[in-house]
Amino acid sequence: MKILIVEDEADLAKSIAAYLADENYHCEFAADYKEALEKIHLYKYDCILLDLMIPGGSGLNILEELRSRNEQDGIIIISAKNSIDDKVKGLQIGADDYLAKPFHLPELAARIYSVIRRKQFGAVNIVEQHELKIDLLAKTVTIHEKEVPLTKKEFSLLLYFVSNKNKVISKSAIAEQLSGDIADMFDNYDFIYAHIKNLKKKLLEAGYGNYLKTLYGTGYKWVI
Amino acid sequence: MGNMSKLLNHSLKKFIIYAGVVLACSIPVYYFFLSELWQYELAEHDIILTEKAGREDSFLIIGTVTVLTVLFFSLLLGGLVLLNRRISRKLWHPFYDSLAKIRDFDLNRQKAVFFEEADIIEFAELNKHLQKLISSTVAAYNQQKEFADNASHELQTPLAIVQSKLDLLMQSKSLTDEQYNIIEDAHKALTRVGRINKNLLLLTRIDNNQYMDREPLDLSDLIEISITASEQFAEAKQLILKPCIYRNIEVQGNRELVEILVNNLLNNAIRHSIPNSVIYITLSEKELVFANQGTESLKQDQLFKRFGIASSKTPGTGLGLALVKQISDRYNWRVSYAFANCHHIFSLHL
Repeated sequence: MKILIVEDEADLAKSIAAYLADENYHCEFAADYKEALEKIHLYKYDCILLDLMIPGGSGLNILEELRSRNEQDGIIIISAKNSIDDKVKGLQIGADDYLAKPFHLPELAARIYSVIRRKQFGAVNIVEQHELKIDLLAKTVTIHEKEVPLTKKEFSLLLYFVSNKNKVISKSAIAEQLSGDIADMFDNYDFIYAHIKNLKKKLLEAGYGNYLKTLYGTGYKWVI
Repeated sequence: MGNMSKLLNHSLKKFIIYAGVVLACSIPVYYFFLSELWQYELAEHDIILTEKAGREDSFLIIGTVTVLTVLFFSLLLGGLVLLNRRISRKLWHPFYDSLAKIRDFDLNRQKAVFFEEADIIEFAELNKHLQKLISSTVAAYNQQKEFADNASHELQTPLAIVQSKLDLLMQSKSLTDEQYNIIEDAHKALTRVGRINKNLLLLTRIDNNQYMDREPLDLSDLIEISITASEQFAEAKQLILKPCIYRNIEVQGNRELVEILVNNLLNNAIRHSIPNSVIYITLSEKELVFANQGTESLKQDQLFKRFGIASSKTPGTGLGLALVKQISDRYNWRVSYAFANCHHIFSLHL
């Protein structure tokens, strides 16, 4: 899987690439507008991470350029400018997702995973891991051909772990994922235990192996 | 303004009083000189009047002098008023023009002010300095607004870098529990900085009138959605949410802002509740009330201020209630706090 990171902050771009490297993702970089245009003209990518404020031009123009060529690359906007206007505009022009800085790398990995799956697997979008089957479109989970009823939160948690397999995920990353866009969040992360406990219980009862490990007391890892 | 009068009326009144006093004083003087002259003429021509005729003459002189004086006083008065009007229109016109422009100036609307050319040195100078004062005020205001906006923006990127480095560090193979916990603590603090920054940006954006649009919103629905989203936080503290919500209460506002308002009030109630207690949420035509059990009253005067840290026990971003205040002010809703029967009560009067 080839990913283009259009981002002028080299440090951030490098972190993203390092995190994604183990997942069979190969990352290339573009640090300004010209370089980004050059790269998208020369190569094809599975997913493009696009910062809107880059030297030399606007990321929105790159987005327009990509969409006018009718390419099927997934595009995720990563912007420091978390404004609703920008988000709406970006998604209207044809971005697949929008992620406001600062974000957790597991969150980004989960978004990339979903976008690539959606773009490339289209109508039959089923993730399989051993006896576990996740239908991303119908949002259903089956184990041994039997459906496991999960709540919305549990489903998105499961997907979060699956798309970050073999990675250590911190409690704060999970808290952020679960609480979404609530502006004034909580310092108390106790609420995540209930969700994780329920998810684990449901998977185990359906006969799925214990792949979700607890590390260092408060971290989690989906070991495959 | 009670005892104040217009600049020109002020001087007019003084002029009129002065003219009136001078003319009134002139009556006995005229009388004195006229009767002296009359007596002199009579003496010169050896005319002797009877006492009655002399008295009649005196009355005649006084009468004539008074009538004439009053006549001239009226002429003077009418002339002064007319002249005064013309002067006020012509001479003071640039002054009143500038005054009207300053009065209509609104720092928030940022419409440039241009003063008319004045042909009087003092007014020209006044206008020049007013112009200077206004442009520097506008510049300072814009600079301050931009600063907050840019500062929050610029902070997002380094925050993103630190966060990503911590996420990477966490993947190291040989971490000890202690090292992991240090990273987690750093993560937690970083999340808080991120939230503070996000809220600051939001506050500046509201200040900058970026959420001017209004649409009809079903407040009852918004509250239900907010309750569903926050239930998980309440459950973690074994809190029971007891909503009592009138259906179909409609308000006008920006969806994002009203959502933030409701979320912040609800999350605030959850955060400051004693575990195992009940939170009452009541929505009627006129008001929205959140009541939750607490031990002591919060510091009322600091509550709605930015970073006015109301209770040091459960630190939030310090901006949640400032946002609530800012948003309710925008829609002319009144938000208030009371502590009664061991309950914190936040009410929003629609």
